[in-house]
Amino acid sequence: PALEPAVSTDFDFRGYMLEKAAVVNCALDAAVPLAHPDRIHEAMRYSLLAGGKRVRPVLCLAACEVAGGADAWAMPAAVSLEMIHTMSLIHDDLPCMDDDDLRRGRPSCHRAFDEATAVLAGDALLALAFGHLANPASYPTDRSVPPDRIVRAVGELSRCVGSEGLVAGQVADLEATGVGAPVTLDHLEFIHLHKTAALLEASVVLGAIVGGASDDQIERLRKYARSIGLLFQVVDDILDVTKSSEELGKTAGKDLASDKTTYPKLLGLDESKEFADKLLKAATEQLAGFDPIKAAPLLHLANYIAYRQK
Amino acid sequence: SAAASSSFDLRTYWTTLISQIEEALDAAVPVRYPESIHKAIRHVVLSPGAKRAPPIMCIASCELVGGLRSAAFPAACALEMVHAASLVHDDLPCMDASPLRRGHPSAHALFGVDMAILAGDALFPLAYQHIVTHTPSPDPVPLSIIPLVLTEIARAVGSTGMAAGQFLDLSGAAAGSEKEILQVLEKKFGEMAECSAVCGGLLGGASDQELEALRRYGRAVGVLYQLVDDVLMESNGGTGKMRSNASIVKAVGMDRSLELVEEVRAKAKKELDKFKDKYGEKVLPLYSFVDYAIERGFVVEGR
Repeated sequence: PALEPAVSTDFDFRGYMLEKAAVVNCALDAAVPLAHPDRIHEAMRYSLLAGGKRVRPVLCLAACEVAGGADAWAMPAAVSLEMIHTMSLIHDDLPCMDDDDLRRGRPSCHRAFDEATAVLAGDALLALAFGHLANPASYPTDRSVPPDRIVRAVGELSRCVGSEGLVAGQVADLEATGVGAPVTLDHLEFIHLHKTAALLEASVVLGAIVGGASDDQIERLRKYARSIGLLFQVVDDILDVTKSSEELGKTAGKDLASDKTTYPKLLGLDESKEFADKLLKAATEQLAGFDPIKAAPLLHLANYIAYRQK
Repeated sequence: SAAASSSFDLRTYWTTLISQIEEALDAAVPVRYPESIHKAIRHVVLSPGAKRAPPIMCIASCELVGGLRSAAFPAACALEMVHAASLVHDDLPCMDASPLRRGHPSAHALFGVDMAILAGDALFPLAYQHIVTHTPSPDPVPLSIIPLVLTEIARAVGSTGMAAGQFLDLSGAAAGSEKEILQVLEKKFGEMAECSAVCGGLLGGASDQELEALRRYGRAVGVLYQLVDDVLMESNGGTGKMRSNASIVKAVGMDRSLELVEEVRAKAKKELDKFKDKYGEKVLPLYSFVDYAIERGFVVEGR
């Protein structure tokens, strides 16, 4: 392959991911207890607890760690990021948007429940995400995360999720679908920087904020996050043309068939791989000034995103 | 108290505030890239004919306990954004399927269902961003108060609040008992008013006891407006606006509905009486909301 891992240490990345995902899953389960009316809470839990690698929460915990914080400080942010990711998927799958019947191998929320419940479950997850992040009761009682950090984290999340963040990406994507004119590289980058990278950026930056990072550290971690956010999408596009459906566990070649604009289409496969290399390098460079042991998870997360095979 | 209320000019108070609120909202939602979504957001937030009841409730509650109007103003605008977001989603074809809102085309009719969903989704974070960036802090609002305001709004909107109210309303509570219908009204309408009063109180520096009184007052007023709307609609022979499938008059009859109106009015006033000794005339705006809910002596209009 064109991409070779830049580092090999004895850090047990797989073990790290599994351990953190398990802690996050427990926290997610506890954050959405069944309550009246049951059905809307069942829909929220159905989509939120459906599995997935929990990349956003783990990035958040890892960024908190590199800033010198403990997992408990970042868990409210980690939980809120997964809730927002889930709500955006629920709304994205609706018939009026991407109209997807399947999500993570089982019926999407509006298929398992109904459209109204899916809209409301998404709305409720969005509110719960912000409520969970903002509520002082979500944090350790020793005030290790003071109110100024909580308020800053909320401001950051709202910017990344709103009409100039995640929603802007969804809109740009909707508007690029079905129009005759080819999508330019700039427009493609806009879509991905907002639709995918914005929430990854929020994940890393929120972790850094609650972990007590300095402004300079926060900005370096932000650059790291933007690079891996775009990298995530470039690699996704490359895999779609280089792997079989069997290898991917989903339909390969879908982008080509659906006429979707991708990096390989705009740049060619080789140049796309070079772009991915550049993004990985840009991301890992930002980690240079941090304690290498504490930065190991973020470094391996970047490599994981670059070298994943599906 | 009827005499006391009449000495306070609610109409001027309300319409003056509406102008200020609309000016702030106008500035808060400029058209940016991508333009389509921001145009939809502006349509939703600046829709003509809105009474801006949540922001007015928030500001009046803040001023009641001696807070500055500027302390509550950003949160007041944010409450209107959140309120507007819930209305856009309530109007969707898969929900109440309303092509009109206050006599104008609803957002999905003008911009498409996808844009209407995204406009609602964007308004919630925008509201949070507005509070965080515009609330004057640490002076006069201590930084530790802001997370409490944000938490309160999330609770009101969420799965046990307004989302629950809309869900119960859609799933047939209209055919239910008095208790079930009142629960829909409390969740669909009481929560927003309750949250507005509590946020105003928090930002104005209310004590815990005062916050609890404001909480009960707000909830009662939110339900009261809807009860009276139902009664007025039935008295007009079923014409007029209908914001909920659940109608109290259809469920329990006119006599019992009028009794309920009086019960809820008395409950709201009882909570306000607790503020009289300490704050004197400052309770008048909140009193006048209660009476206005029933008398509707004028039509609320902005600029």
